[in-house]
Amino acid sequence: MIDILFYVFAASVLISAFVMVISPNAVNCAMAMIVSFVGTAALFVLLEAYFLAILQVLVYAGAVMVLFLFIIMLLDVDKSEKSYLKDKMTLGASIIGFGLIVVLVCSAFLGGNHLPEPSLLPVMENPTGEGVGIPFTTSTKSFGYSLFTKYMLPFQVAGFLLLAAMIGVIVVSKKNEPEQG
Amino acid sequence: MNDLLAEFLRGFTATNEWTVIIPEIMLAILALGMLGAEMVLPKKSAQSLIPRLAMWGQALILVILVTAGCSYGGDVKSYFSGMIEQTDVTHMMRAFFLVCSILVCYLGQIYLSKQTLAKTEFYHLVIIIAAAMMLLVQSAHFVMLFVALETVTVAFYVLVAYCRNNSLSLEAGLKYLVLGALSSGILLFGIVLLYGVAGNPELAGSSHDSLAYGELAHFINLNADNLLVKVGALLVIAGVCFKIGAVPFQIWVPDVYQGAPTPVTAYLAVASKAAGFIVLLKLLTGPLAGLSEFLVPVLSVIAAVTILFGNITAVTQRNVKRLMGLSGIAHAGYLLVGVIAALTIDWAVYAVIFYLVTYLLASFAVFGVMAHLANSADANQELEHYQDLARRRPFLSGILACGLGSLAGIPPLGGFIGKLFLFVAAFQAGLYGLLAVSVIGVVISIYYYFGWIRECYFGAQLAETETVEPVPFLSADRLMLGALVVGTVAIGLVPAVLPIIP
Repeated sequence: MIDILFYVFAASVLISAFVMVISPNAVNCAMAMIVSFVGTAALFVLLEAYFLAILQVLVYAGAVMVLFLFIIMLLDVDKSEKSYLKDKMTLGASIIGFGLIVVLVCSAFLGGNHLPEPSLLPVMENPTGEGVGIPFTTSTKSFGYSLFTKYMLPFQVAGFLLLAAMIGVIVVSKKNEPEQG
Repeated sequence: MNDLLAEFLRGFTATNEWTVIIPEIMLAILALGMLGAEMVLPKKSAQSLIPRLAMWGQALILVILVTAGCSYGGDVKSYFSGMIEQTDVTHMMRAFFLVCSILVCYLGQIYLSKQTLAKTEFYHLVIIIAAAMMLLVQSAHFVMLFVALETVTVAFYVLVAYCRNNSLSLEAGLKYLVLGALSSGILLFGIVLLYGVAGNPELAGSSHDSLAYGELAHFINLNADNLLVKVGALLVIAGVCFKIGAVPFQIWVPDVYQGAPTPVTAYLAVASKAAGFIVLLKLLTGPLAGLSEFLVPVLSVIAAVTILFGNITAVTQRNVKRLMGLSGIAHAGYLLVGVIAALTIDWAVYAVIFYLVTYLLASFAVFGVMAHLANSADANQELEHYQDLARRRPFLSGILACGLGSLAGIPPLGGFIGKLFLFVAAFQAGLYGLLAVSVIGVVISIYYYFGWIRECYFGAQLAETETVEPVPFLSADRLMLGALVVGTVAIGLVPAVLPIIP
């Protein structure tokens, strides 16, 4: 079952990514990109990385894509009519990129030296007391444990980072008020 | 939650002693309080109260910090489960950043009185940057380092573009944003490479918490020949070099320094650079110490090229803000020599800090004069505007001459002693080639610094049509700028007034 789902989602990611690159309409590109992101999130779910999947949907498919669409609407991008293949730069870049992929695939699977397979640590639901640090886990709970104990100070500082960024946006974009004496 | 887990997590919170970062917390509260004060106070009184609140509040925090620093034993202490680490160096640098921030608020008050811009947010961001830099120099963990560094940089993006009705300021802000984001990316990539390779369980000394400096130092000592370690370290160094404006990463300096409002230029030139150097020192003597045979030649070349580039390009500059930027690159080169010396000579760390203090006093004297003389078109301050300054504004031109003399390293002033300490450290460390390059650089720098002084004292008389209406020059201004010069001269005559070099 999981294998079938993997192939379905992997295919949807690849196809929508391909559509995104070749589609002449900017809005269609953005929509295809969303499908690709959601497909990636589904792949994360299959890997039991639920937290990552939620982040992928919320941040990328949600916030970032809304931003993209806003910009596309605001700029009012024309549907470009020209064929991509006529552009020499695009053609050259695609050939080089394709060549690199071929080399990578050949060296990874056909050549004698396979990609190293690192010995993965076992995934644990909750950190257990070893005293050396919080081991790798995928559950949302363990991220919370770390954030509010070990990484408390950086977590608070990050809050001020966001505050500074927000104030910056207001200062730089707000209309100049008339002189007040 | 089971008991074992609770016990385990309690181990992490055991070292969360918030009292050791009281100054930073108070700065954050002050910054937030000012935003609140602007909302509740009536407009008229807020305009005069908020700058005072910013300056006196920080002065109070400085007093608290110095009192706490005096009772400090001198040993290395680690807090927040290894996130921050306090040494005597970090205590000095925290006071340094607070002094910087107070002076920037003072310059900002002068600058903002000539502009129609939002005022409170400026002080807010300056104070946030000060607090973040104070945490930055204490950080002993890459997560803490990156978060603090990003807070500083993001707030600086805003401050550089603060004068949003000036196209030069916006251009500078955009350039700083793009290049700063790139450098943050490079730094992060280096950190991730180090983290990844140090977490590989097949290598000796691998650890679960390889972002902490201590664990990483242990790992790098065992695996100094690993290619990924070298690449990661190089990328981390490159990211930090961008912040200090060393040569392959210096392209942003002249444009950003010119476009940014003068107080922000001063802040970038002094505090941001100082923070970069302390981080570099900490990295080179801490986690990357095992790589010193590989990194020292790289840094030596960077230092030599930085000194020559900064000085030679500054010679032809006519815009004084660009001139300060390019000469700042040269100063970064001298400081890099000190950093390299600090890898072998223990007291060179203190020579670097001493130099930074003299640089602070002299730079703020010069930037203070620039802030006073600038009209509302802040970015276009040419050398021609300083012609015959000695006759028009004798006090200001005296301050300017002292500041520039100290930057050039003329004997009775503090800058000379600072350079002397650095060069003695370099001599003891056996860096003769770099020493020679530095001396050549100093000789070139005297030419352009004195060219500026010459414009003030012997320049042709300025046509009277172009007189800018003088800003009211209060006795407080006189006191502030005078104190900077007195400090410079006092350090030059009696270096022991600064209890830095043990």
